[in-house]
Amino acid sequence: MSRKEALSTFIQQIHSRPVVVKLNSGVDYRGVLACLDGYMNIALEQTEEYVNGQLKNKFGDAFIRGNNVLYISTQKRRF
Amino acid sequence: MITNDVQMTFFGLILDHGPIKLVDKCIGSRIHIIMKNDKEIVGTLLGFDDFVNMLLEDVTEYETTPEGRRITRLDQILLNGNNITMLVPGGDMPE
Amino acid sequence: MADELDVIPSITVKEPLDLVRLSLDEKIYVKMRNDRELKGRLHAYDQHMNMILSDVEETITTVEIDEETYEEVYKSTKRNIPMLFVRGDGVILVSPPIRTS
Repeated sequence: MSRKEALSTFIQQIHSRPVVVKLNSGVDYRGVLACLDGYMNIALEQTEEYVNGQLKNKFGDAFIRGNNVLYISTQKRRF
Repeated sequence: MITNDVQMTFFGLILDHGPIKLVDKCIGSRIHIIMKNDKEIVGTLLGFDDFVNMLLEDVTEYETTPEGRRITRLDQILLNGNNITMLVPGGDMPE
Repeated sequence: MADELDVIPSITVKEPLDLVRLSLDEKIYVKMRNDRELKGRLHAYDQHMNMILSDVEETITTVEIDEETYEEVYKSTKRNIPMLFVRGDGVILVSPPIRTS
């Protein structure tokens, strides 16, 4: 099952790294990934909430329920 | 049990020739993903798991918003398989 | 239980739900679907994120389009609920109070 390895490597790599978590609603959360489970539940540190690209909220820590997650991305963004 | 053997063979056939095999063939190449909610994603498929959660690279995300189409470029993403409806192999965005 | 709350979260947070465990008996912020937000004290939760909250302030945000100017008008209504069961499937985000240290 080599196809799975790429995913587990990525999950290990992003631990303690800045990430962007995008929800199905379109809201973005930027923060440092503390941990992740099999449901894609996520714990983020130094979390910033962006709605339509605008900073709306800040949280020290945040738990995000996995069913809302569209993707988790490494923070490097190129427009 | 014969039925069990038949089932096993059938399961094997699905793995070898079924839809997942097609996704497996896409690893390393561009893929176009259509999500449930007016979102489309194009990227290079690096891997996926049993839930078809996907790891993608050099990603372009297309969203249809009331203000028009929004395009976001991303480096690597772990895409939740939950909201995928269709996969188009080799795809860059049509139109 | 009281001892656990004093531990620095980054050490004890091994899985995302640990973050919620560390927030037991604390005032938390919950973002819900349907533009609802809750602030209340967390008494209990489970793996679905069903929760029992007390002294809850619920904020509901609605958007209305002004019929003449077509401007979006955001209205937020607040109400207080002494004790509340929250069904987990509506939960988007849970945040504990900001920790000093």
